[in-house]
Amino acid sequence: MKIQINGRWYEAREGEMVLDVLRREGIDVPALCAHEAVEPYGACRLCMVEITHEDWGGWKGNVTSCLYPVEDKLIVQTHTEDIIELRKTVLNLLLARCPNSPEIQKLASEYGIDTTSFVPREDADNCIMCGLCTRVCTQMGFNAISVAGRGYGREIATPLKEAPPDCVGCLACVKICPTHHIQYEDIGTTREIWGRQFELVKCKQCGKALITREFADYLIENRDIPADYFDICDDCKRSGTARDFKKLVHWEEKEEAEEEVSA
Amino acid sequence: MTKRFLIRPALCIGCRTCELACSLTHQENKKPGRSRIYPIAVGREQWVPIACLQCDDPACVKSCLVDALRLNEELGYIELLQERCIKCRACVAACPFGCSLIDEEQEIIVKCDLCEGNPACARFCPTKALEYK
Amino acid sequence: MKIDSPDKLNAWKEECLQKDAKLKKKVMVCFGPGCLAAGCREIYAKFEEILAERKLGDITLESFKKTGCHGLCEKGPLVVIEPEGIFYNRVRTSQVKDIVEKTLAKGEIIERLLYKNPKTKERVLKYHDIDFYKKQTRLALRNLGHIDPDNIEDYVMRDGYQSVAKVLTGMTPEEVIDEVKLSGIRGRGGGGFPAGRKWATCRGVESDVRYVICNGDEGDPGAFMDRSIMEGDPHSVLEGMIVASYAVGARDAYIYVREEYPLAVQHLYQAIDDAKEHGFLGENIMGTDFSLDIHISRGGGAFVCGESSALMKSVAGEVGEPRAKYIHSVVKGLWDKPTVLNNVETFANIPLIMNKGGDWFRSIGTEKSTGTKAFSLVGKVENTGLIEVPMGTTLREIIYDIGGGIKDGRKFKAVQTGGPSGGCLPEDKLDLPVDFDTLTKAGSMMGSGGMIVMDDHTCMVDVAKYFLKFLVDESCGKDVPCREGLYQLHKMVVKVTEGKASEADLQLMEHLSKYIIMGSLCGLGKSGPNPFLSTVRYFRDEYLAHIIDKKCPGGVCRDLIRFEINDKCTGCTACIAPCPVDAITGEKDKIHILDQEKCTKCGACYAVCQFDAIDII
Ligand SMILES: Cc1cc2nc3c(=O)[nH]c(=O)nc-3n(C[C@H](O)[C@H](O)[C@H](O)COP(=O)(O)O)c2cc1C
Ligand code: SF4
Ligand code: SF4
Ligand code: SF4
Ligand code: SF4
Ligand code: SF4
Ligand code: FES
Repeated sequence: MKIQINGRWYEAREGEMVLDVLRREGIDVPALCAHEAVEPYGACRLCMVEITHEDWGGWKGNVTSCLYPVEDKLIVQTHTEDIIELRKTVLNLLLARCPNSPEIQKLASEYGIDTTSFVPREDADNCIMCGLCTRVCTQMGFNAISVAGRGYGREIATPLKEAPPDCVGCLACVKICPTHHIQYEDIGTTREIWGRQFELVKCKQCGKALITREFADYLIENRDIPADYFDICDDCKRSGTARDFKKLVHWEEKEEAEEEVSA
Repeated sequence: MTKRFLIRPALCIGCRTCELACSLTHQENKKPGRSRIYPIAVGREQWVPIACLQCDDPACVKSCLVDALRLNEELGYIELLQERCIKCRACVAACPFGCSLIDEEQEIIVKCDLCEGNPACARFCPTKALEYK
Repeated sequence: MKIDSPDKLNAWKEECLQKDAKLKKKVMVCFGPGCLAAGCREIYAKFEEILAERKLGDITLESFKKTGCHGLCEKGPLVVIEPEGIFYNRVRTSQVKDIVEKTLAKGEIIERLLYKNPKTKERVLKYHDIDFYKKQTRLALRNLGHIDPDNIEDYVMRDGYQSVAKVLTGMTPEEVIDEVKLSGIRGRGGGGFPAGRKWATCRGVESDVRYVICNGDEGDPGAFMDRSIMEGDPHSVLEGMIVASYAVGARDAYIYVREEYPLAVQHLYQAIDDAKEHGFLGENIMGTDFSLDIHISRGGGAFVCGESSALMKSVAGEVGEPRAKYIHSVVKGLWDKPTVLNNVETFANIPLIMNKGGDWFRSIGTEKSTGTKAFSLVGKVENTGLIEVPMGTTLREIIYDIGGGIKDGRKFKAVQTGGPSGGCLPEDKLDLPVDFDTLTKAGSMMGSGGMIVMDDHTCMVDVAKYFLKFLVDESCGKDVPCREGLYQLHKMVVKVTEGKASEADLQLMEHLSKYIIMGSLCGLGKSGPNPFLSTVRYFRDEYLAHIIDKKCPGGVCRDLIRFEINDKCTGCTACIAPCPVDAITGEKDKIHILDQEKCTKCGACYAVCQFDAIDII
């Protein structure tokens, strides 16, 4: 199917969202709460676009593109006056919430907002409440953190605000956070996140560490991956693979080939 | 499957042209990416180029909890969907051959994608140690 | 006993009527929310106590009924004696003995317990002669106050379950939907969506399973229409749901009741049990192959759980948080199945529509808003309580004829309709007919039926502040415009009440409001700025008075008012003690002095002064 974006036609696939097409085609629409690893959510409202269709009798509407499924001959405008104004308002509000976030500052200034018109949050942190961290944690099957409270006091929290028992220290939440709000620390082979400590699995040959023991155990148990795969790091496994292959190789091929070249 | 990626270590001269070709092909933000292939010295004048074996039962795919890895049926390789990957390193730890890699520079996970059907390493390999046919 | 045919139902109804006729007198003790708060339980217990000691001829305990809300909650506890319809209000336990000895034993009327007309100051003997009731048309509330909600026989006697018999044995689902469409009934939960169309869409979706849900979340502060119906006439809701389930083809239905309504839950459970026992629920209802179970789902009590997508998530056991959807829940609702969600009052009307016909229903009300609407009338009116009027009744009729006018003879200032995110209408809108479209056009909305009357002692900026605070607290906080926007809007309204805002702030507030409405995910955010927008629309002067003159014309905003003692002061000393900071001094019979430095503007002195000697400036 085809959809029209800002006057040009683009190919779209059944089942995808308007934002997927925008991203694929490199059309610049801000979207802070959408990530391909998780279901769309519609919280930041920045990805709003105006849609209409020749069969809709002139009806137009503003929808969040991350949640709106494509349909044939959909007509999309990504930068109407109202949409730009909405994005400015949202960014203005986010700047009041997270005045110190470089990511928000940058995005806001792209929309011409350098200081917020509103009252900045006291003790502001950099969480914009996009919910990506909780959603990815759920998606991965851990459900270690969740949204607590409501309204302005909504926050990301661990159960009972204690070290989360279901966390495996995979760092998915850290890596997905658009404003780098979630803190963690790796000291030697110990990882600390959400107030909990994890031991990293050390390569038996060189000592390099990639993931936590808990995460590895989860993958061994639930994903049917042999336990010994995690004993050695990627570098040492590559060398090992090469050494294994050495035994299978007919090294004399080389001389033959060289002869060929010289011949 | 139409074509196969062939490695003949006996022909490898350890010139590391494949590494360079791979790295330059996989650029992000105009910076060379980490090579997905490495000729590893295993003896005097002996090298084995190692890249993803595109396993039939890939541990990396099984380890990815957000389905960022999958079989690309058309080209017959294991594809990493960069937009979906959340860099948890499960695949890096799980791959038994050490072929899912961390590109520290770009802060992403990378693996051989057969250059989506036209492997640069094979094209630039001066001997026939790497071939795609 | 299973009722499996219309004939059996009629025979049972006849039986119930005969049984009822044997009761020479019926004493209806109101157990509605207002009367419960006023102490009706004690009244009832007192009757029981006296009856235990004393024989009253034909009158036995069976004659005493705990009924649902009579409506005139302001005057509770209420006791109505049938068949005469004697209406006693503000009954105290000490007076129960009198009622038994005089009225029940001898037929004497106790004058001082009768309702006093606030205008004429005359006592009114009978229920239906009270102005409050005269102008009402009670359809959804038809049984409230007339039956014991825990007694299915009371319900059956008043045509209960007749529509189930009629529909299941004589109409196709399509015919039912056509009748509902013909009636023109629109949803009573706020949106005003035509119920018939909703049902038809649901039925039209290809699916093996469909659901019907009744929205009994009623989160609006001060609203108690749905609660009163669920508590006072639960069977009418079940009956409506049975008809709806038959029409759309549902095998299971849910009632979502907020946790704070334990009595409603209790009565609904009882009603479901009784309905099951008599075959109105369960397998093969009315001997047909239609089967239905109704389940109760208890809500956590968050306001936003009343929103359809949040409610369905909550019923499914997930966090009750709105979900953005461009596929309507009628198509993909509970557990992704086609689902009809209607409000309690909507369902309570359905049996009447089926029994009397869509044509009859549409003859009441206006062309585009048919039937009646229940309101909880509260605030500064003489008669507060639960009312029901035909659509199209004017606000003036509701406030002055039914409500008895403004309390204490004060001046009307505004009426707020539509719940927290509704709007305030001024005096010159009093003659507007109350219907879905007119209210919306005027910048307010029907909502689920809250109606708050305000007098001239109200500050409209303060009102906006109050409702915005409610919405700020109730926003689920998922999306930015609603979570951050309403918070900032509220902050700015507070700034106005403190006299610290500028005209530029006012513009920013209007701009922000526009984009909160455009950007929010669910109805809460989309209507969130209404308290501000509707007050600034009709009472802009008052905002400007705060901003420019630094004055609060309503005399409410503490930072902008001053209390002053004028020369009407008789030196009675009444105000001295209540002042918590000893700001008032003075000798008896001499004009008192108020120290502005000390005064915290709590208004305690103002409240006690009998001589109008304290001005708010
Ligand atoms: C924030 C919010 C709260 C709501 N609360 C209620 C409620 O308490 N009761 C209700 O019946 N409808 C409520 N609604 C409306 C419902 O979403 C829905 O429209 C209604 O239950 C449909 O029934 P009806 O068509 O019979 O009115 C609410 C809507 C929103 C946006
Ligand atoms: S680090 Fe813990 S909280 Fe974060 S995504 Fe992984 S399991 Fe969840
Ligand atoms: S911590 Fe980061 S990912 Fe999680 S909600 Fe906040 S901004 Fe989003
Ligand atoms: S990355 Fe490793 S596990 Fe995955 S297909 Fe390649 S070799 Fe196999
Ligand atoms: S690093 Fe990326 S591709 Fe690898 S398992 Fe994690 S999410 Fe999947
Ligand atoms: S509009 Fe408000 S209540 Fe509704 S989903 Fe958004 S944040 Fe929650
Ligand atoms: S990306 Fe669509 S609402 Fe945030």
